[in-house]
Amino acid sequence: MSSTSVVIPVKDGAVWLAEVLRAVAREAPDELLVIDSGSRDDSPAIARAAGAELLEIPPAQFGHGRTRNLGTARTSGEIVCFLTQDATPEPGWLAAYREAFALDERVGAAFGPHLPRPGTSPMIARELTEFFAGFSPDGAPAIQRSAGEGGWHPGFLSNANAAYRRTVLERIGFRDVPYAEDQAFAQDLFAAGGWKAYHPGAAVLHAHDFPWAQFMRRYFDEYRGLRDTTGHIEPIGVRSTLGAVRTEVARDRAYLHEQGAGGPERLAWTARSAAHHGGRRVFSALGSRADRLPEPARRALSLEGRGDGAGTPVPAAPALTHVSPRRPRELFAEILDAETHGIVPLEDPVPGAADRTPLHVAIVIPPFRRGSGGHDTIFRVFREIERLGHTVTVWLDDPENHQPQRAAVIRDEIREWFAPLEAPVFKGFGDWFGADVALATGWQTVHPVLQLGATRARAYFVQDHEPEFYATAAEHRWAAQTYGYGLHAICASPWLADIVRERYGGSASVFQLGADETVYHPLDVPRRRDTIVFYGRAVTARRAVPLGLLALAELKRRRPETRVVIYGDPIPNDTSFPYEHAGVASQEQLAHLYSEATVGLCLSMTNYSRVPNEMLACGLPCVDLEGYSAESVYGADGPVELSAFSPSALADHMERLMDDEALWERRSREGIAFVARHTWRAAAEEVEAGLREALRLRERAAAASR
Amino acid sequence: METDLSVDAEALAAENARLRERVDELERERAELVARTSRLVADAEERTYWLERWQLDLNALMRRPGAAQFRALLRAARWPMRQAKLLARRIRGGA
Repeated sequence: MSSTSVVIPVKDGAVWLAEVLRAVAREAPDELLVIDSGSRDDSPAIARAAGAELLEIPPAQFGHGRTRNLGTARTSGEIVCFLTQDATPEPGWLAAYREAFALDERVGAAFGPHLPRPGTSPMIARELTEFFAGFSPDGAPAIQRSAGEGGWHPGFLSNANAAYRRTVLERIGFRDVPYAEDQAFAQDLFAAGGWKAYHPGAAVLHAHDFPWAQFMRRYFDEYRGLRDTTGHIEPIGVRSTLGAVRTEVARDRAYLHEQGAGGPERLAWTARSAAHHGGRRVFSALGSRADRLPEPARRALSLEGRGDGAGTPVPAAPALTHVSPRRPRELFAEILDAETHGIVPLEDPVPGAADRTPLHVAIVIPPFRRGSGGHDTIFRVFREIERLGHTVTVWLDDPENHQPQRAAVIRDEIREWFAPLEAPVFKGFGDWFGADVALATGWQTVHPVLQLGATRARAYFVQDHEPEFYATAAEHRWAAQTYGYGLHAICASPWLADIVRERYGGSASVFQLGADETVYHPLDVPRRRDTIVFYGRAVTARRAVPLGLLALAELKRRRPETRVVIYGDPIPNDTSFPYEHAGVASQEQLAHLYSEATVGLCLSMTNYSRVPNEMLACGLPCVDLEGYSAESVYGADGPVELSAFSPSALADHMERLMDDEALWERRSREGIAFVARHTWRAAAEEVEAGLREALRLRERAAAASR
Repeated sequence: METDLSVDAEALAAENARLRERVDELERERAELVARTSRLVADAEERTYWLERWQLDLNALMRRPGAAQFRALLRAARWPMRQAKLLARRIRGGA
């Protein structure tokens, strides 16, 4: 059974409040909250005596919408019911509301009839009776599914007696308007796809029978509020008003007759009825047009004394479209998990574990596609790690299910596309059984790794400074934060290791990329003296392709006979010079290209790529940028020509290599020797040292904390 | 009463060495268990590649109606098939 809260805003409500609270108590809600906004009578004491929770707020803080939102926030029931201080629930009121919401889960709001109190004037009593009977001609609960549904008063909803589903109320909320916050809510509810229900059993005794002048001022305020929230303007005309008054008076007299009133009583009420209905037409019309009245007139006519420019229409809210959840978890939910649950502690270290073989290394990888260079590096290195005697397991972190294939298929893809890894593959971490070292291999995998238990150490396989892949974005910050979680970074260049240590204060060791010597070596093809091969994958911004194209344009201007071959992108780059496009070539095709070309051009503004190594392995001297990672790997005067970040300087370096045979020979020779020293096996040994260092650091940290 | 501390120290050192050996032994066992488990899982993935590729759950398939009858039919067909193979082998061998 749904829990219920009843909220009653009160100001000087002592006349009926005790009766109202007794009736509410009889209905046994789970919570009862009275919000008093500066009563000068006994209302607060009456509320306390009735056992209600009392919240007192300054009068200036009161707003029909604002205060009811406050009442919602201060309660917790699944159904929130609102009453006014003079609306007394009839027996069965709360049960009827529970029934109303049980009709359909799309019902977001419900209301019941207002019954006239004994002694209410016939005008008000008849109006109430007829009005609410219209919602349910057969006397059964009814649902309104849209604002325009036929047979319903378009936006009627009154917080004198209404109930709301908390989840809907918290999502939509009452507008902070001076009046008609309930009618505005009805509009917003329908716009959001919600429904409204009427239950005849959710009845209250509630009838405002005021002196004539008070009635008229109330109508003025009410219709001013309606104009502000719904745009309604009450029509008026002499003939129509007279006709309407005549009709209403006749209906009042008929109602009195039905109630058993005699002729003299009916006569006595006739004049009052005419004055009431006539005045109502006039003051309603005035309220709809309050913005045209002078401010003193507005203040005088308003029951609440409001002369403010609140007659100015408040713009309607935008049409809202309800969107259902489209994913089980939010993107990057692991980041929130790490914040909420903290980092899972590492296991106590076992002395000597760092030096033992085999280690169990669990590599956590992001989803991959065929041709992914980063994954190729990971799998080549860890195939060698397996050959060094260690146990490797592969854990695919794929919360978005980019790779829906099963684990056995993914394992086969790794072995076919990248390297013949022996390791088993697991999708997700449901079968996680611990590791000596859990290894993150990309920034998105760091947070999941931090949640893995039964682990002795954590490490981070860093192939590039990933924050630089993003502009100013959440991903940039999150990627940068991953270097600060205490994972030992195993970095693919001294440049990267320096960044981790100096910028992030982390620990780092280094490995250097290899090249597949079975594919990349000088082939027996004639070496040309006029050909530049350029890695022109423009979609990867850090490859500085626009700079490379400018340099080539300058070179072509100086030496029009130069042959340019551009590869790496299936779509040819738009250039001002003619060239040959090799598209996305296979490794064997690239080896041929490198073996016949004169100079290779491959630029990297972050960590160096494998391309320079592969070019050098084929005896092809290449040009890259100084001041980035290539310098830390190849040295200032090593096998790679390092150029300033300038198209002219790049053209100078390419020209020098084309003209200076001795320089070309030296670079080519040094390049082949360099790559011969930097095999994947050598890379794996460096990575192995990094994994052991991660375990040693863990031992030292545990010893220091004892 | 005086205590022979050198004997205690020796005993502690010996106990220490014994515990370290035991830890090394357990570590080796653990590493071997992990390696064996990984090999088992990798082998299973190797063997079930096509089932996984086609997302075929053989257990579920064999629980469906008619599966038991299908298996009985296969068993019944085994004897004549075996006889046919033997006959074919004899003919080939004879030829």
